[in-house]
Amino acid sequence: MAAWSCRFLLQRGSGVISVRAGAAESPLLARGCVRTVKTTTWFDEHLTEDNQEFMRKSMAEEYRRQTADKLNPLKDEPWPRQEWTEGSRRVGLIAVKLGMVPAWTKTGERHVVTMLQVQDCHVIKCLSKDEYDGHTAALVVGGKNVSPFYRTEQQMEMFRKAGVPPKQKLTTFKVSDNAIIKPGTPLYAAHFRPGQYVDVTAKTIGKGFQGVMKRWGFRGQPASHGQTKTHRRPGASGPGGDPAKVFKGKKMPGMMGNIFDTAYGLKIWRVNTKYNVLYVNGSVPGHRSCLVKVRDSTLPNRSSTLLNPPFPTYFNEEETELDEDLYDENMFVHTEPSLTLA
Amino acid sequence: MAVCTKALDKVVFSLRLIRNLQLQNERFLSSSLPRLAAGSDSQQPPRFTPPPKPVIIDKTQTVTSQRKFLSPEFIPPRQRTDPAKFSMERKDMVRRRKVLDIPEFYVGSILAVTMADPDASGKTNRFVGICVQRGGKGLGATFILRNIIDNQGVEICYELYSPRIQQIEVLKLEKRLDDNLMYLRDALPEYSTVDPSMKPVPFSPTGEVPVNKLKVKMRPKPWSKRWERPKFNIQGIRFDLSLTPEQMEHAQKWAQPWVQYDMLKEYDTSSLEEKIHTEVQQEMSK
Repeated sequence: MAAWSCRFLLQRGSGVISVRAGAAESPLLARGCVRTVKTTTWFDEHLTEDNQEFMRKSMAEEYRRQTADKLNPLKDEPWPRQEWTEGSRRVGLIAVKLGMVPAWTKTGERHVVTMLQVQDCHVIKCLSKDEYDGHTAALVVGGKNVSPFYRTEQQMEMFRKAGVPPKQKLTTFKVSDNAIIKPGTPLYAAHFRPGQYVDVTAKTIGKGFQGVMKRWGFRGQPASHGQTKTHRRPGASGPGGDPAKVFKGKKMPGMMGNIFDTAYGLKIWRVNTKYNVLYVNGSVPGHRSCLVKVRDSTLPNRSSTLLNPPFPTYFNEEETELDEDLYDENMFVHTEPSLTLA
Repeated sequence: MAVCTKALDKVVFSLRLIRNLQLQNERFLSSSLPRLAAGSDSQQPPRFTPPPKPVIIDKTQTVTSQRKFLSPEFIPPRQRTDPAKFSMERKDMVRRRKVLDIPEFYVGSILAVTMADPDASGKTNRFVGICVQRGGKGLGATFILRNIIDNQGVEICYELYSPRIQQIEVLKLEKRLDDNLMYLRDALPEYSTVDPSMKPVPFSPTGEVPVNKLKVKMRPKPWSKRWERPKFNIQGIRFDLSLTPEQMEHAQKWAQPWVQYDMLKEYDTSSLEEKIHTEVQQEMSK
């Protein structure tokens, strides 16, 4: 594409430039070419193979260095930490959906859990009350490192300020004033603890243009008994003469999925601190290996499970070493002997 | 079936002979050794050394298999999921396998599963049946046991890694001609009947797993599925008894002979299997 557009420029270039030099904004130009030329080029378009290799290697090195720098407490003094109080809102995480596995409780019940892996999650920006919306402070969090070669200079500026590699996904979390964290701080799965409840937001799997039976669960019509050309149709769309219109918001066929959806109040069964994996109860919107946003549950009945969480987040340098696996107290651990049910 | 058992009997007999010979040899050696020792120290009376204990081999106990075997649920399905997910799952599977001995078994083997059941008397439930199907990958792996109890076919689907399972015994280790025996539902009941008080049949821990080349007779049609269709590719049914040659010919209409040449459907797991096998062996020996 880029090569093609370049050639396009070369062929037309001389004429276009001369015209432009002669008479700016001439009608001839507007008629002549609808230009889709974008000035972007592949970063490796004019590089030899060795140089490409070198660039990739050096970037990987750079990423590692940046991540290691963030973990150095001497270089990077965190902002003063404040105590957890009732009603504080913490930051959340960006995680990758790995897939689903079964999990068993100590009473022998089987649950299905979703594995969410937290990969290179960093705080990118801290927005104060005034900068955000005048009501709450907010933190911009990024997850999953990506190549810097396809980012605009504007985007790169933000990451450079935070001193972290560019990220695939950025999200904003509204936080209370005492929960702000310095940009560049890494976030880990141990931010959440087993037994607490979380909300998970992600883009659902796109289903394309669907009829009312799939999209809204309408009944449809019978397959036989004299039906002609009417099996999966919506039927009537509302009352007749009096309103004489179809009310707004009528459920109709259309594009289904590919919208942001939130699963509320999912219990965390287990946290793996070595691989940074959250085991979250039930299903989560989105396809496999999509990036999801995880935060403390906003459900009023679930706030009691959030007692003394790591605040404002879990710092890896803390003295108390965590176990590799943190389990909910009701969860069956595979190293225990088989259950004998009374 | 009868031929098979006869052959097995022979093998068992020969094994027994060999073992007896070894035992005799041992005893001979042990009795001669102290005498020699006494001869060298002529003054002192020979000290009493107890004869070595006879080696008693309990044949009812199933021996652990020594052949190279990787349970099929260890092999991840062919998809784009992060391989880290499967390795994490494997760790949990190995942890469970260290607690519960999950033996090597195949579709067609006869198993007995003891499971914690709060509603059963004695709180455990033991079911004996023939393994009809194995399904699932990773921690969600399952197997189905089938038996006929009081003239009623019973199938139970067990989760391999469920903590409620207390013991899995292999009563008879063998394979059948097919990897899925769901057609036993439509076969005569004697083919899925197993005695619930069956004693374990000893098997050799090395060498190939015996294949039972039994072909089953079916009930009259209709069946739950058209087993004669090529997509099931079933070897273990006597089709000649229940279908005419014309019908068999007709079933070939649904053959898809080109599918075996579809390179996109190829999934060669041999190298992956090798890698996972060594990894699991290392973890298990830790």
